Amino acid sequence: MAAQALASSAHSEGGYATAFPFFGAERRGAPVLAFTRIDEKRVYRKTQVYEPDYVVVLDESLLDTVNVVEGLKEGGMVLVNSSKQPAEVDVGIDVKMATVDATSVALEVLKQPATNSSILGALSKATGLVSIESIEKGILQVFGDRLGPKIGEKNAKAARVAYDRTLVGESHGKRELKSAEKWLPDVKELPIGVAGVPMSTSAGAVGPGSFVENKTGTWKVFRPEYDTEKCTMCNFCWFYCPEGCIYRKEDHMDFDMDYCKGCGICANECPADAIRMVR
Amino acid sequence: MKLKDLPDEELFTRGHTACAGCGAAIAVRNLMKVLGPNTMVVNPACCLLIFGATYPYLAWKVPFHHVAFENTAACATGMSRAMKVLGKDETLIMGIAGDGGTADIGIQALSGAAERNENMLYVMYDNEAYMNTGIQRSGSTPFGAWTTTTPVGKVKAGKSNFKKDMPLIMMAHNVPYVATASVGHIQDFIRKFEKAKSMKGFRYIQVFTPCPTGWRHDTAKTVEIAKLAVDTGMWTLYESENGKVTISKKPKMTPVAEYLKPQGRFRHMSEEDVKSLQDWVMKKWEADEKYAQCRQ
Repeated sequence: MAAQALASSAHSEGGYATAFPFFGAERRGAPVLAFTRIDEKRVYRKTQVYEPDYVVVLDESLLDTVNVVEGLKEGGMVLVNSSKQPAEVDVGIDVKMATVDATSVALEVLKQPATNSSILGALSKATGLVSIESIEKGILQVFGDRLGPKIGEKNAKAARVAYDRTLVGESHGKRELKSAEKWLPDVKELPIGVAGVPMSTSAGAVGPGSFVENKTGTWKVFRPEYDTEKCTMCNFCWFYCPEGCIYRKEDHMDFDMDYCKGCGICANECPADAIRMVR
Repeated sequence: MKLKDLPDEELFTRGHTACAGCGAAIAVRNLMKVLGPNTMVVNPACCLLIFGATYPYLAWKVPFHHVAFENTAACATGMSRAMKVLGKDETLIMGIAGDGGTADIGIQALSGAAERNENMLYVMYDNEAYMNTGIQRSGSTPFGAWTTTTPVGKVKAGKSNFKKDMPLIMMAHNVPYVATASVGHIQDFIRKFEKAKSMKGFRYIQVFTPCPTGWRHDTAKTVEIAKLAVDTGMWTLYESENGKVTISKKPKMTPVAEYLKPQGRFRHMSEEDVKSLQDWVMKKWEADEKYAQCRQ
């Protein structure tokens, strides 16, 4: 929706724009991509964007697993949802960098961690590509149409607040990131029929039980804080956890933050109030 | 089995890609703990297929077979008979599908397998819409609920039909075991799956699994809403064992509005609509109670 609102904003300033999302089979909360193309002339290209001018990262934790600057043009800019200063964000190269704590803005204005409207305000400030007034108009149109005018207005406000809080600077990154390998077996490696067995490959484990290598902990906004003193070892959280990332130990529970998606069921159901959700 | 006696090993591993707060994931993780490793799973298109198995990655640690939308029970029949021929009929064959794959698309294969009393356990996890494809109404969607195919507009607001009573349809097949369960009632959940595991012939369990994404509620409230559904009478917990029907938990008859309030999919409902739903709940409970009395 943010990509659409941006396209709509650019269009309202007299330009041409296209926008579309790309996502796999993951559920809500998993990383997704969205593309926007803006031009003064008609846009005929329909492919995904492989060499962007600007990269917008809505979740800072992705920087650890994805090479976000792959294909970024010379002189391009990266905007990251982060509470850090631009110079503190490392994407592996020297680059123009802008940061905004969009999650805090969204929690303040919208009361939920939906950062897509806030980040548009920041994009306007950081790039000057589209004015903040047009962004507000675009959000009112796209968000308002789908979620009702009241929610549209709130999101436009979130964009304005984020606009005022955006920091622009430069970053000199050093980290090295390799793109993940895909599993491409040849005929001899493939098991007979359609049955699969647990196998370890150059791209990691495949087959039964292999999802365990998929660390879903990056999805969360809130994490459980656990008080051993208050815990009565009733095991309710252990049963209710959709991820199975709470482990039973002798006299306490162990919360595995590598997998926790931060849903908050454990805190909500704990009869002893031993779990609290914090950021 | 008590909650504390459930094994630690996850036969449906972490790292799966369900939305945060997924009710179906709670159900599947725990029912696999009860059923144990000597189980084979048959699973058609549904959320569970996507978040538990994205080729070549699998969350299941037991033999898992993906089938077409409409033939879960037919494929489970084949596997069950094949295992019998191999002399391995102590292996439990479990068909597990969503409400769309059970109440709508899969019902003819399911009805056939039930009528033939095939040796299998069929589990329907009921999230009350086609969530996998983006929240379209199913036969199991309740009255008044918003979905993308029952939108809220000036002429109509939400679904205008009432929920299909799948457990009753399954009981009408005179199968050895039919039960309803909920992710909010731990002991009842464990006991029913244990009982199903210990029996032979066709067994059917329908688990109530809230969906924060499709029902538009806070991810932390999944279990709370499952409990409210039982308290208000929206979801009756009962079981039928060889024709004898027992109510597992009598509802408190909390006003149904309490159940509707935390869910965005019911936000638009008028007082009149809420009253219609309340009347339906009263009638449903009355009927369920009478049915249990008749089938002693």
